[in-house]
Amino acid sequence: MDFYFGLAQLIGVHTLLGLSAYIVLLTGQVSLAQAGFFAVGAYAAGMLTVLAGWHLVPALGASALCGGALACAVGFPALRVKGLMLVIATLAFGEGVRLFFFNFDYQIAKGELKVGPVGGEGFRQIRFFPENGWETWEVMLFIWVFVAGAMALLWWFDRSRYGAVLRAVGEDELAAQSVGINLTAVKVSAMTVGGAIAGVGGGLYAHYTTHIEHASFNILLATFAIAYPIVGGLRSVYGTLLAVIFVQGILVEGLRFMGDWRNLLFGALIVLAMNLRPSGILGKGRHA
Amino acid sequence: MLADLVQNSLDGLAAGAAYALLALGFTLIFGVLRRANLSYGPAIMFGCYAAALTHQHFGAGLFMLALVTIAGAVLAGAYVERLCFAPHREGSAIAAMVASFALWMQFEELAALVLPGHLYAFPMLHEGAPLALGAFTFRIDALVLLAVAILVCASLWWMLYRSRFGLAVRAVIEQPTAASLAGINVPRVLVRVFALASAIGGVAGYLVVASNGQITPMLGMWATLKGLLAMMLGGLGSLPGAVLGGLALGLIEAHSQWYLGPQMRDLIAYLLLFVLLAARVPWMTSRSAS
Repeated sequence: MDFYFGLAQLIGVHTLLGLSAYIVLLTGQVSLAQAGFFAVGAYAAGMLTVLAGWHLVPALGASALCGGALACAVGFPALRVKGLMLVIATLAFGEGVRLFFFNFDYQIAKGELKVGPVGGEGFRQIRFFPENGWETWEVMLFIWVFVAGAMALLWWFDRSRYGAVLRAVGEDELAAQSVGINLTAVKVSAMTVGGAIAGVGGGLYAHYTTHIEHASFNILLATFAIAYPIVGGLRSVYGTLLAVIFVQGILVEGLRFMGDWRNLLFGALIVLAMNLRPSGILGKGRHA
Repeated sequence: MLADLVQNSLDGLAAGAAYALLALGFTLIFGVLRRANLSYGPAIMFGCYAAALTHQHFGAGLFMLALVTIAGAVLAGAYVERLCFAPHREGSAIAAMVASFALWMQFEELAALVLPGHLYAFPMLHEGAPLALGAFTFRIDALVLLAVAILVCASLWWMLYRSRFGLAVRAVIEQPTAASLAGINVPRVLVRVFALASAIGGVAGYLVVASNGQITPMLGMWATLKGLLAMMLGGLGSLPGAVLGGLALGLIEAHSQWYLGPQMRDLIAYLLLFVLLAARVPWMTSRSAS
């Protein structure tokens, strides 16, 4: 049973990552920086619980703040460009964050052993859950509380004026601008909310795996982040959740019988999904 | 001091020549399709793995391996084009990008399946001492790389600016609708350009793998990232820009590695690119294609 709880943890964390890209995609922007915010959240929360001895909940709050603040700071310069140039600018930023952590050492002695991030080796012993005796299912529930919270927040955005503004910018920037919408403010705010969600996701990821290293936050993770909402469709937040279950569920569990060949079939399934429903599983049909 | 500077610049140019070839392939594809092909590097890797297998089983020579690499890259490129770009010609650019990402996963898995184990030896282009000329040394394989890159650029220039096919390609890049109205078979041009770009990528992949003497499943990601970076540095959609961007990337990497250490090398390149893009330097934002 623990295996399925573990899978549910993975799906929960990836849903947060996907949702962080979802809100940015609503404004029509493709950001490959989400893995970078995710990494910042992971390192921030890990350092706060391990080195500073914080409880996980305030540490996750700090992760959200770090991720959001960084996203806001990056959003202002990066969102000046569009299209493929934005993709590459955010990719460069995300890889820059990863390489920063590749070079980042900050260790302190704690009892017998030294703890903290060490460059390429990564950050081991993020043991908040085992130290406090959390069971796997409790960790899973804890993660899903945050997933539900993020989904509720984005769902509420979609029903509010703010959601309409986001989608207006995504549909047609010129039209949105001409009715008086401040494009920069809308895009940067979406990026900030996305960065905060990615930060929380990263913080949770760091604690359930107990070991993080720079290599996990590479371009593959960044591309997965935008692939989820695209595969799921931008109609609603459920699309992203559905896509994560589809992708990670199949990748980790569903194609187990395929053994080493499962990535081949996985790739084929995504291509098939994109060709049959270019605007996502829950999106508009092919000719809409 | 000065000798180091010159030597590093020479090494940087050699690395930059490979980046320039990768960026040329990317730019050709972007120019005609207006889509980013994330599977470009992995398709090149497919060609290199095909060559490594050929070498393992038949002990083929260098020239034969180069041909196998190029053929493999073109074959893999055709697979990518059919599945990711042909169905999304009118539709969403990002759907095509996500689809090409999915094929990337396939190519990586395939590479891990045919040659399990992380690192494989690949026959070297040249073994033995580098050529010493006064205070400077030239690696023979780096010289071959430079020469081939120049040859490829010259042939590409001739093909694009002196042949009917090139005229058609430039017309499609400039204005696809008008090109189609003028009687150009646009889908056919797209497929041919894709094949041409894959072949150029195959040449670059072969030279890089044969200079390093080894092949790893990281090659695909490496080629995609370096190609995208170099293309962007030179200005999106410009072919001379792609060459200059590749050389510039090589020089930047060589010098930052020398002065700031190998760990800072990639970081500097990414930060520079980010700053240049955010500052919207004029040559990057102009969309001219030729």
